[in-house]
Amino acid sequence: MLTTKRPNEREPMMEFAQEQAGEVLVVRLAGRLDSSAAPGAEQTFAGVLGGGTPHLAIDLTQLEYISSAGLRVLLIVAKKVQQAQGKVALCGLTPNVREIFAISGFDAIFSIQPDAAAAIAAVR
Amino acid sequence: MLGFVEEIVLLLLDDGQEQIAELPVSAAHIVIAGAALMELALRNRIDTDVRTLVVVNRTPTGDDILDDALAHLDELGGELNIPPALYGIAVRSEGYRQKALKRLVERRVLRDQDGRFLWVSPTRQYPIIDDREQQEVRARLRQILLTDEIPDPRDVVLLCLVEASHLLAHVLSPDELKQTEDRIGQLSRLDLIGQAVHRAVADIRSTVKHATSQIG
Repeated sequence: MLTTKRPNEREPMMEFAQEQAGEVLVVRLAGRLDSSAAPGAEQTFAGVLGGGTPHLAIDLTQLEYISSAGLRVLLIVAKKVQQAQGKVALCGLTPNVREIFAISGFDAIFSIQPDAAAAIAAVR
Repeated sequence: MLGFVEEIVLLLLDDGQEQIAELPVSAAHIVIAGAALMELALRNRIDTDVRTLVVVNRTPTGDDILDDALAHLDELGGELNIPPALYGIAVRSEGYRQKALKRLVERRVLRDQDGRFLWVSPTRQYPIIDDREQQEVRARLRQILLTDEIPDPRDVVLLCLVEASHLLAHVLSPDELKQTEDRIGQLSRLDLIGQAVHRAVADIRSTVKHATSQIG
């Protein structure tokens, strides 16, 4: 698990956990994905997307907040998955996260599923 | 590689002339301010969400245009809504444009026709002597608009700036523009600062159009 701490100690940390579900890699993000967490998250995603054709389900159930910097990380992930001819789906968007996805149009870039099981099925 | 401010200043040149193509000057200033803000965002100096723009890292970038904008954002409060930040930076855009023109001359992208580029003069001309940057932007935008390719964050910023500047007609044919209307709308929403630039430019154009119709 990778943990990135914001400079502001009052803010929760960003947590990144991953597990394999058959051919699908499930990544769970928790906390805040903002400018302080984005570089670490980008690096971690680059590591997990290192080889082969990715089948990626990203579970955002525990993600409390995402900023533009966090959205850019997800855009880069989506681009890399597309380049590798893989599939990616998101699930578990909280109302805060869903709002910024809707306003920024990111909900049209990603397959968004209600839960992890649906996201795994979507990328198999 | 050019920064976004130089890129958009170059693209806004009207056939190498000094005047800004197709946009009211105040709208061009908004676009230039947006370019500076989006570059600062990609360099992790500011961050945004649907409500606020925050300075998150005060470390200078080494680019005097961006560092001036960063310092000015701090003066404006460091945490504010995107439109006030945009308008706050836009008051400095003419200075950024002059610096960008000078850099483009130094990089031999533009030629200073009469050697007077350090002085403000409405008749100065900047013929383009190397149009590779413009061609690359055009090719990149055509690639992301005419295919299903997911853009990277720099592509998104370029699209936002070109779209807000009403320059897409120089990138796509009329048929292609019509055919990609939905995709242009979708991709140019991906950057929240870009959205604010689009709205601000649309407001200015609408005001100018209204004022012109009143005079006419």
